[in-house]
Amino acid sequence: MEEKVLKVLQEECPEVDFFASEELVNDGILDSLTLTTIIAALTMEFGIVIPYEEIIEENFNSVAAMAAMVERLSR
Amino acid sequence: MSFTEFRFFLFAAIVILAYYLLPKKIQWLVVLAASVIFYLTYGWRKIIFILLATWITWATGAWISNVYQKEADATTAKKRCKPVLLLSVGILIALLLYAKIGSWVIETMTQLLEFQQLSSIEIIVALGVSYYTFSLISYLADVYWRKDQAEHSYFRLLLFTIYFPKILQGPISRHKYLAPQLREFHKFDYREFCYGLQLMIWGYFKKMVIADRLAVVVNTVFGTPDAYAGSHFLVAACFATVQLYCDFSGCMDIAGGFSQILGLKLEANFNHPFFSRSAAEFWRRWHITLGTWFKDYVYMPLAVSPTLIGVSKKLRQKFGPRVGKSVMTVVPLAIVWILTGLWHSTGWNYVVWGLYWGAMIICSNVFAPEIKKLNRLLHINTEVGSWKVFQMVRTFLLFTVGRILTVPGDLAVSGKIFQKLLFDFQPAVLVDGSLYTLGLDRPNFILGVLCIFILWTASMLQEKGSVRDRIAGCNIVFRWAIYYIAFFSILIFGMYGPGYDAASFVYMNF
Repeated sequence: MEEKVLKVLQEECPEVDFFASEELVNDGILDSLTLTTIIAALTMEFGIVIPYEEIIEENFNSVAAMAAMVERLSR
Repeated sequence: MSFTEFRFFLFAAIVILAYYLLPKKIQWLVVLAASVIFYLTYGWRKIIFILLATWITWATGAWISNVYQKEADATTAKKRCKPVLLLSVGILIALLLYAKIGSWVIETMTQLLEFQQLSSIEIIVALGVSYYTFSLISYLADVYWRKDQAEHSYFRLLLFTIYFPKILQGPISRHKYLAPQLREFHKFDYREFCYGLQLMIWGYFKKMVIADRLAVVVNTVFGTPDAYAGSHFLVAACFATVQLYCDFSGCMDIAGGFSQILGLKLEANFNHPFFSRSAAEFWRRWHITLGTWFKDYVYMPLAVSPTLIGVSKKLRQKFGPRVGKSVMTVVPLAIVWILTGLWHSTGWNYVVWGLYWGAMIICSNVFAPEIKKLNRLLHINTEVGSWKVFQMVRTFLLFTVGRILTVPGDLAVSGKIFQKLLFDFQPAVLVDGSLYTLGLDRPNFILGVLCIFILWTASMLQEKGSVRDRIAGCNIVFRWAIYYIAFFSILIFGMYGPGYDAASFVYMNF
């Protein structure tokens, strides 16, 4: 799952280094505009709905966290 | 009771003494009582609205929390709570609209229906209504999204809503940030006391020495626009920009400093916005709590809503990924900026002001690749110091243009001012001494400019690290010399002349 998520992220946001930090949101690497792009891409690619309460820093701070969230919401 | 009145100093001293001398268990009650008294000084009828809004919010939050505890299935619980949440938010917005556009509605209806009895209805504008309404909505939304715990005690929630240092002009506090601090016991801390006092003094300096001094020129020039040339307006508009910053951030420093004395930390509302290199960065550093509120409760929910993502997907398939991506930026940002304009005021000038900033930020996002290409084409090195300075000056001027849209209060007058700036500039005005006839005499005018320089220097130092830490590290003579100079400069150079209304802060009207 992590690889699939990473592929989507790199296609959508090629300018972002997703391994620059383990706290992508807290460190300001992902701003709100990038976050919305990522959420839309994950929603379209994996056919999931990301409820607003899932949009918290912890779920987007790393590729692993995003993959875990996608996996959880896909069930 | 405003922060600049003498009775506020007495009031603040009594609150601090009671807060630390009475048992710690009742510290929160001391602050609640002080906040209610502070609010009542603006009239007893205003308090009814804040009590009511808090009660509706408290009851809704408690009800949602109860449903979440009893209902095993989270989705069903959310579905049950949604209509109640929307109803409560609707009532809060209705109360806000009553205060914001009540007078205008009555005036219009009186004219349209020729029903004179309507004009006798008095609209009561609750103090800080725009600030506490947004705080309460964020609390409800956070409880609904399970990002915050519901408050079980009405009076605890009331304390969060009415906490007096933030009621005049914000910050728009989040319950999950401030309420835990208001619940804790606080011991007197000499360092926090000194730091808080320093911040308050700096806030008073910005408000009374800089903002109120510059306001004289701003009011003179914008008050009689026909009498002045373009260069007058250039100076007055630049002053209006600094005035607003010093007035608003000065009030925040006073509120933050007083809170620090009580051992509480308010959210930062400013982070040296005029060092920003773009419009988007500026709004991340100016009135931060309003910006983050709109981001969290309007922009993000809209941008990630299944409807907008669906539209984006269709557009992506039809016109390519760039259009699909852009729609997710343009639609929510346009809505946020119209609402930001309306939050400030319901006049057309604020709608245009909102569109002005919205259009700028949307274009800089949508056309980011073209802007990058253009910079490369023109061989502009965007990382050199001179380019950064240019960007900061540009930010200041962009904000100043926005001030010309809002200060006159009439778009037609703003248009006339832009015309004068372009076609009737008269540069000689800048050097022939006529600037000293705009309400401030020569020494006062020069003092105003000098104070702007002091502000700029202090801001530069703050960007590099805490100035208060540096002062604390100095020897005692130098340290106290700074305190005395700051204190006496407020006493000596603060604006107290005839016709001066120390009670009003610009952002108090929102």
